[in-house]
Amino acid sequence: MASVASAVPQISLQGVQKTYPNGTVALRDVTLEIPKQDFVFLVGPSGAGKSTLVRLLIREEKATAGTIHIEGQDLSRLKRRHLPYLRRKIGMVFQDFKLLPNLTVFQNVAFALRVTEGALRHLKPKVEEVLSIVGLEGKENKYPDQLSGGEQQRVAIARALVHDPRIFLADEPTGNLDPATSWEIIQLLLQINARGTTVMMATHNREIVDVMRRRVVAIEGGQIVRDEDAGGYHAPALESH
Amino acid sequence: MHRLWNRIDFAFSSAWQNFWRNAAVSIASVLIVWVVLLALGSLLLVLHSLDQIVALEKTKASAISVYLADTTPLSSAMDFKLRLESDPRVTGVVYVSKDQAMARFRQLPALDPSVIDTLGTNPLPASLDVTVKDIRDLAAIDQEVRSSPLVDKSPATNYEPNVIDKIILLARVAGIAGLVLIVGLTGLSVFIIMLTIRTAIYLRRKEIEVMKLVGATDWFVRWPFIVEGLIVGMVGAVVAVLIVGFGYRPAVVNLQSVLIFVPLAFDPYYLRLVLAAMLGFGLLLGSMGSYLGVRRFLKQ
Repeated sequence: MASVASAVPQISLQGVQKTYPNGTVALRDVTLEIPKQDFVFLVGPSGAGKSTLVRLLIREEKATAGTIHIEGQDLSRLKRRHLPYLRRKIGMVFQDFKLLPNLTVFQNVAFALRVTEGALRHLKPKVEEVLSIVGLEGKENKYPDQLSGGEQQRVAIARALVHDPRIFLADEPTGNLDPATSWEIIQLLLQINARGTTVMMATHNREIVDVMRRRVVAIEGGQIVRDEDAGGYHAPALESH
Repeated sequence: MHRLWNRIDFAFSSAWQNFWRNAAVSIASVLIVWVVLLALGSLLLVLHSLDQIVALEKTKASAISVYLADTTPLSSAMDFKLRLESDPRVTGVVYVSKDQAMARFRQLPALDPSVIDTLGTNPLPASLDVTVKDIRDLAAIDQEVRSSPLVDKSPATNYEPNVIDKIILLARVAGIAGLVLIVGLTGLSVFIIMLTIRTAIYLRRKEIEVMKLVGATDWFVRWPFIVEGLIVGMVGAVVAVLIVGFGYRPAVVNLQSVLIFVPLAFDPYYLRLVLAAMLGFGLLLGSMGSYLGVRRFLKQ
């Protein structure tokens, strides 16, 4: 039985449907399994349901039908008071960084530890550690508006790493960045993935997806239309037809 | 211990920041709390004084003083006393001479003795203080003694059947009016504190978003706002407590000099109760306001 348990995927969606209160069907019958340490691109046009999928994984939204398991835990049965502990397992970054403008780089990262009552005695070394992973040593006392977009996203990534997450979700992390900076962020995500963290990145960035040749899950109209290892942004089938 | 301290430190420093970040709204809510508590404290003290007066009047109720004309010889007065004592309705009669009356008068609080000395002659009449078994007989005895030639005519007795009823009515009216005022102000102050907390939450919406994202618990997010409400209640209460605490004694002393015959007294024990009640009520207002402010917003 133990071997069966270890074969359970880290993230598993079975027949997931999401209908918003206004009647919009954002996802229909989505089944997806992501094993530990996978690196997955989630692609598709705007409004296809990528962001909804991400929001379901951190239980910002609840699925209307179907089940979602993260590390064997059924999210529909997760009590509200246990939700924060799910979020601590999942590092999360966004297109708009979501940094606090009145806090320095150091304080922005430390904030995540303070508000979750993390190991405060180790706060400073921990913050320094994640800042060095993202390559921001020496910028600790800068404010977000003194940083470039790429540096701001690095701060957000550092903040997402303070709890040593087992899953890293990035929703359009390069959406506001120029191509060179986008590549730096991708390198960073690869590095995080290499450290053993599952990474899922929703993106529009065709060039990156095509060059990387990683697993690609394509969503259109709320359904998974393609799921291939070492895929590109568009399906190869389109040309062969 | 470390975590608890972090939680307290975070809650208090955030709450303090919130308070000053929207200072105008915070100060408005402090003011309204202050007004409520001032009204509450004053009402309690006024009602307590009226209670004291009623209690004192009740002990006096079974007795009347029959004032004797200055021309009445002592022997006639003693005859009159014997006649009254033989009345089955009467339980006791005490003769109070002019000098004794004066001595009593001098003992009234807040009366300047030099004022009395300037009077020269003693204007107070001698009296027979009659105690009865049944208060209801007082009116009949009052009527009978008024016809006696020995009795002073202005005034004949100190019989005032309505005084207690009047004071009780006054206390009731003051109590109801005060209660209505305080209930109204309480509702208003809870509402204003709620708005203050909502404003603070709005100003912190980005931080709250990040806190939830990185996995802060609901209570960790709520505490700073609850504490802010408590600070509002506390500050309003402390100012009101200081004013009532230091103002009560001077107020009683001043009133005593105006209302010489009203037995007002300074009651430090009751004052302490009132001040504690004000502080407690202030904190209650603050926590109710912040609870309502936080309740809906942080649900999702």
